[in-house]
Amino acid sequence: MYPATAEMSMNMMTKISDTAVSPTGGLCSRELCRFLSRYGAWLLGCGATCIRLEKNMRRIAEAYGKEVELTVMPRHIHVTVYEPGRNDMTTAISSVQATVISFNINTMLSRLSWEVADRKISFAEAERQFEQIITSDTQNRWLVLLLVTLANASFCRLFGGDAVAMAIVAVATAAGYYLKQLLLGRGADVRVVFLVCSFISSILGATDSLFSIGTTPEIAIGTSVLYLVPGIPFLNSFSDMLYRHYICAYSRFADAVVLTACLSTGLCAGMSLMHVGMF
Amino acid sequence: MILQILQDALFAAIAAIGFAAISRPPRRAYLYCAIIAAVGHSARFIMMHEEFFSMNIILATFLASFFVGSLAVFLSPLARVPAETCLFPALLPMIPGIYAYKTFGGLAMCIFGNDESAFSHSFYLFAQNGLTCLFILLGMVIGATIPIFIFKKVSFQATR
Repeated sequence: MYPATAEMSMNMMTKISDTAVSPTGGLCSRELCRFLSRYGAWLLGCGATCIRLEKNMRRIAEAYGKEVELTVMPRHIHVTVYEPGRNDMTTAISSVQATVISFNINTMLSRLSWEVADRKISFAEAERQFEQIITSDTQNRWLVLLLVTLANASFCRLFGGDAVAMAIVAVATAAGYYLKQLLLGRGADVRVVFLVCSFISSILGATDSLFSIGTTPEIAIGTSVLYLVPGIPFLNSFSDMLYRHYICAYSRFADAVVLTACLSTGLCAGMSLMHVGMF
Repeated sequence: MILQILQDALFAAIAAIGFAAISRPPRRAYLYCAIIAAVGHSARFIMMHEEFFSMNIILATFLASFFVGSLAVFLSPLARVPAETCLFPALLPMIPGIYAYKTFGGLAMCIFGNDESAFSHSFYLFAQNGLTCLFILLGMVIGATIPIFIFKKVSFQATR
């Protein structure tokens, strides 16, 4: 009986302290904790580094007169909010939001943290802005397709490809990236998407050596799949490592390596199908 | 010569804009991405060119990335975006794609080749390209992240 009672009274205590008005204008730890756990889940999901996550969340909590401690795991965030000098704490665990990398959301959420800290916007206003940020991120997919195509063709040039190689890479990229958008939009597994896209792109990229029209066929086929290289996860992984978030660093690195392996498998399959030698 | 450098800068800028688009940056960040990438990549081009310093690609990438990182840290407050937003797309043109490709090629030939001398040659290609690729990547990320680490104050107040 005794432990149960003890637990019950502790629950009561939490409840009481939650409803109690805090010196910072009536915001209770539980509300802030719920908000911060969602904020963190989105920030991490859209591709922010762990150090940014920590700094932004501390900044928001401090603006509302609270402290926050967090554990960042690869797929979950564990947030504890408390008020300095008081005994009650609230903890929330949330799954990292499954969303695409978006520096736009990252930027706007970071700015929201400064709005809270510098302009002292109210908690209700912060929540409203947060909802607006996470629903407002749209992008013209055709424009992205065009930009990626141009980018990969220029990439080919940087590696020393000639004009023919650039044209072939542009076609291979356009087809592959279009397929990627299409498949991801239908909810296909990202690893399968990488495999299929690199396979298609490498087949198209092999045109150069198949008909021997250009002088740099190996650069064309090598570059044709590079739009798939998961650069941001690799770079985020090293950033986390510098700040000693080793578990997240390792997890991001593993994710990126798996995707790179899928990409390479697709490339190798495409090349052997087209009977193109590696060197 | 100047034309070559400008060409390198131009294509690096286009590549940066396109690869930035994949990670959905705010619109005003594109210009900064392009500038930083163009300056960084042409700096590496100059460092590696025989007429100037003929530097090793790993060292040149490290120095260019450090430069790119510092530029990103000090330009991002102007664009009011986190430093990473400008930095990462600007680094992507320096990713050693062809080395990575040749590494996998070497590995595939190791596995499918059967006679010893062919294997040694493939293994040599695998190891040589793989090591170069790995150290370019390491140099790149360490070089680019050090400025963010040093100028913590500036880089985390960019969106203020």
